Amino acid sequence: MAKLMLDVRQLTTKYITRTGEDVYSVDHVSLTIEEGKSLGIAGESGCGKSTLALSLMGYYFPPLHYTSGDIIVDGKNITGMDPDTIRKTVLGSDVAYIPQAAMNALNPTRKVGKFIEDVIHAHELPMDKKQIREMAEQRFALLGLPVDALDKHSVELSGGMRQRVVIAVSTILNPKVLIADEPSSALDVTSQKMVIKMMKDMMAKGLVKSMIFITHELPLLYNVTDDIMVMYAGQIVERGTAKEMVFDPIHPYSRGLMRSILVPEEGTRDVKLTAIPGTPPNLKHPPQGCRFAERCRYATEACKFNQMPLLDIGGGRYYRCGHSVEHLREVYEGED
Amino acid sequence: MTKGMRKYFKKKIFWFVITFIAAVVLNFILPRLMPGDPVNSIVGKNISPGATQEQVQEQITYYKHQFGLDKNIFGQFWDFVKNAFNGTFGVSYSQYPRLVSDIIGSSIWWTVALQLPAILVGWLLGNLLGALAAYKRSFYDKALMPLTLFFSAIPAFGASVILLVIFAVTLGWAPVNGAFDPGMIPGFNWKFISSVIAHYQLPFWSIVLISIGGQAVGMRSMSIYELNADYVKYARFLGIKDKKIVRYVFRNAMLPQVTGLAMSIGSMVGGALVAETIFSYPGLGMSMYAAINSSDYPVISACTLIITIMVLIASFMLDIIYAFIDPRVKAAQFD
Repeated sequence: MAKLMLDVRQLTTKYITRTGEDVYSVDHVSLTIEEGKSLGIAGESGCGKSTLALSLMGYYFPPLHYTSGDIIVDGKNITGMDPDTIRKTVLGSDVAYIPQAAMNALNPTRKVGKFIEDVIHAHELPMDKKQIREMAEQRFALLGLPVDALDKHSVELSGGMRQRVVIAVSTILNPKVLIADEPSSALDVTSQKMVIKMMKDMMAKGLVKSMIFITHELPLLYNVTDDIMVMYAGQIVERGTAKEMVFDPIHPYSRGLMRSILVPEEGTRDVKLTAIPGTPPNLKHPPQGCRFAERCRYATEACKFNQMPLLDIGGGRYYRCGHSVEHLREVYEGED
Repeated sequence: MTKGMRKYFKKKIFWFVITFIAAVVLNFILPRLMPGDPVNSIVGKNISPGATQEQVQEQITYYKHQFGLDKNIFGQFWDFVKNAFNGTFGVSYSQYPRLVSDIIGSSIWWTVALQLPAILVGWLLGNLLGALAAYKRSFYDKALMPLTLFFSAIPAFGASVILLVIFAVTLGWAPVNGAFDPGMIPGFNWKFISSVIAHYQLPFWSIVLISIGGQAVGMRSMSIYELNADYVKYARFLGIKDKKIVRYVFRNAMLPQVTGLAMSIGSMVGGALVAETIFSYPGLGMSMYAAINSSDYPVISACTLIITIMVLIASFMLDIIYAFIDPRVKAAQFD
């Protein structure tokens, strides 16, 4: 078995609202990623996928708070480390982050090259200005970015270029885990393709040891990541390989999600697009039983009251549902 | 300097010249639209009670000729332009035969010495308070911001009068008016300087107090906006120190505040009017106030021209400064 780059065990984090209520947006999430692998996380808006991304950094700002669980990066448990140690030794170097709005992620009054200097200095690496500059130039050239972008402010770069610069800056310290939160969703298709290509490239060149890719665009995940995980209401509802998840989803929510979006691959041509009715539950007061039961067309009375554990069915496949795999497959077949 | 920059500044200068010409014309016309005849009031003051109608008429004709008011409006305008260019601005009506440049020369330094430090101190304190309120929230935000808001909401004359009543009249800590004790001869000695410093306090702090409020409110909201900007979150997750991020934030939040500073420096002569009048401070504001009361056209025009020129220079400087401190402005203007 390959080396585990990221091993998250029962991670729970919460938001504390202004009125003092706890909202558990990441609820006992466990996941592993091996070296050289990538994991896609999909789900509706508000399912907790972006919060999961933030939570995995181990560096929390109000209103987000850590509750319990472990985050182990390449054998090192980063939970419980003091914030300044995390800042210096984990952020950017162990776990790097590409924000959702990467277009606006650069300080408008700081040149890209200067910002890279700041990043290196923040980690107290023994490099002088010249060395940093050389390193940055090499990295930009390696990733096919124009070197003169280092002397520019973000406003002087196009949207797609800004995005790629952010990716290059995020990965400048060769992170073990790269967490990309919808890095391409604000881009046009051409720029999207370039961003995806760049990220795959970085994986192939070993600049990034493993990757989590968060998006609501499933077709994208199928082409980019090895595995896909589906989240709903702060919990993992299913995990499998990209192919399994797209063509053979088990959980009714995963199935609904796959069926609501076109995947431009063979075998999906005759699939009718259907929307999932209803909206996700309010996590201030999560449902007692299965969190998806309210919207699930296969739900029984029991689903609404029984807590659903995440079931391991072997081969890296997990799902969280009261029905058996056989039962669900049978029902699905009857529908097609 | 790039080609884009040159083109941009050429265009700017062109428009500043147009604005300047329009301002000169308006500075000439507007005082003359005021009710009241300057010559009549001067003659009325100077003539002996038993003078005959002819003598009065003779006096009026004499002064009209001296002031050039017997010429038609174009002739008067030509005089005005000529005097403006030779730097004298002509002869004052109410303090005849004193030159306008002499009146302004003796009062403008009082205004600059009062206003410039007050504006700078007010701006610095205001921005500091606003930044603290945004960054620390809790105490600063809850206790200090309402207070500064309160002060910024008081009209300038109101704040000055309140200070005057409390500190000069009731407590007697500071003199009531003037820039130094009456009867004192200005000179470089300790007695005179200490008198000037004592007289300086109230007008100075009244201006500071008022400018703090406006600056603090602006800086606070800009800082809060910047603190929540995406680049802050990104920089944090790249491991950049909070201290550094705070520097990013305040640098960016300061940018719009520079406009406020330049504009209050540019318009300080006009802004001086209220405080100077209330504290009878012998600055340009007082000169202008007195000139308006006696329809002293050359003095009014000279004062308003100074205001115009200072505002124009300030906004021109702003354009240049922004090109250097804000790459967004630079990108928008020079391409």
